[in-house]
Amino acid sequence: MTRSHIRWSTIATAILALAPATRAFAQSCAMCASSFGVNDPVTKAFNWSILFLMAAPYTLVAAVGGWLFFTYRRAAGRSRASVGRLPLATRRGAPADVPEEV
Amino acid sequence: MTAETLVMPRHSPPDSRPAAVPPVSNTRLAVIMLITGETMLFAGLIGMYLIFRLSAATWPPPDLPRLPLGITVLNTIVLFASIVPMRLALASARANRPDAAARAVARTTMLGALFLAIQGIEWFRLVTHGLKLSSGTYGATFYVVIGCHAFHVLAAVVWLATLTLLARSRPLTSRHHAGLEMCTLYWYFVCGLWAVLFPLVYVY
Repeated sequence: MTRSHIRWSTIATAILALAPATRAFAQSCAMCASSFGVNDPVTKAFNWSILFLMAAPYTLVAAVGGWLFFTYRRAAGRSRASVGRLPLATRRGAPADVPEEV
Repeated sequence: MTAETLVMPRHSPPDSRPAAVPPVSNTRLAVIMLITGETMLFAGLIGMYLIFRLSAATWPPPDLPRLPLGITVLNTIVLFASIVPMRLALASARANRPDAAARAVARTTMLGALFLAIQGIEWFRLVTHGLKLSSGTYGATFYVVIGCHAFHVLAAVVWLATLTLLARSRPLTSRHHAGLEMCTLYWYFVCGLWAVLFPLVYVY
């Protein structure tokens, strides 16, 4: 059995195992199921609020993380473009400023 | 070549390169983290507001006074106008013009204080007309959401006033303006927040 066969059989097993659970995922808790109807405005209000609150942290983390990523990347590009003179190792006895032949 | 043939010079010349400066300073990072936390606080408040607003059959309730839109639009213009002197203050400090920077910070402080004063008058009128914190979910959500924003504006105005006072003894120059830069970030946050809250609470 090749590695590709193992991978595909693992994916197929996972799908088969999770398929019966899809009905369970669609259910809500007992309280929500009994309190709110399908076209109830309270249901609509809770749905929008949950969506908003779910999106907020991801948006914030993505915005701040993206800004930090690009700021650091830009700074790294700038520092690469202007590499300063590094201190050089010298042979014993040689003047300190003479660069060593590599 | 043995290990002994390569040695570091005993008296190496002093390194004239400037120390590596991080792209984002720790202070700026701290203020951004603070603003992120505050944004989540307001996200929670907006989530709460959305639940009450969308689940209510009539909003605002018929027996309660409407929010004054005209004076709040004027107040919004005052708040957004304060961004101009704030930007000017930062630009002046960066250009090494401390007097102009101090004047611009003072102008921003005054505009912020004016925003708070107008909002205070508006709240006083609303309370006298019967809209109180105890006036159901309408009054409670209004005062909590807008009050929380007003508290943040107050904190920013205190920060600005402190900067104005400190600018006398320590001028805002291109080398000493970190506090002003952080305050500018916070002021932008406060103004940006109002750009979300005003349409949501007053217009929607």
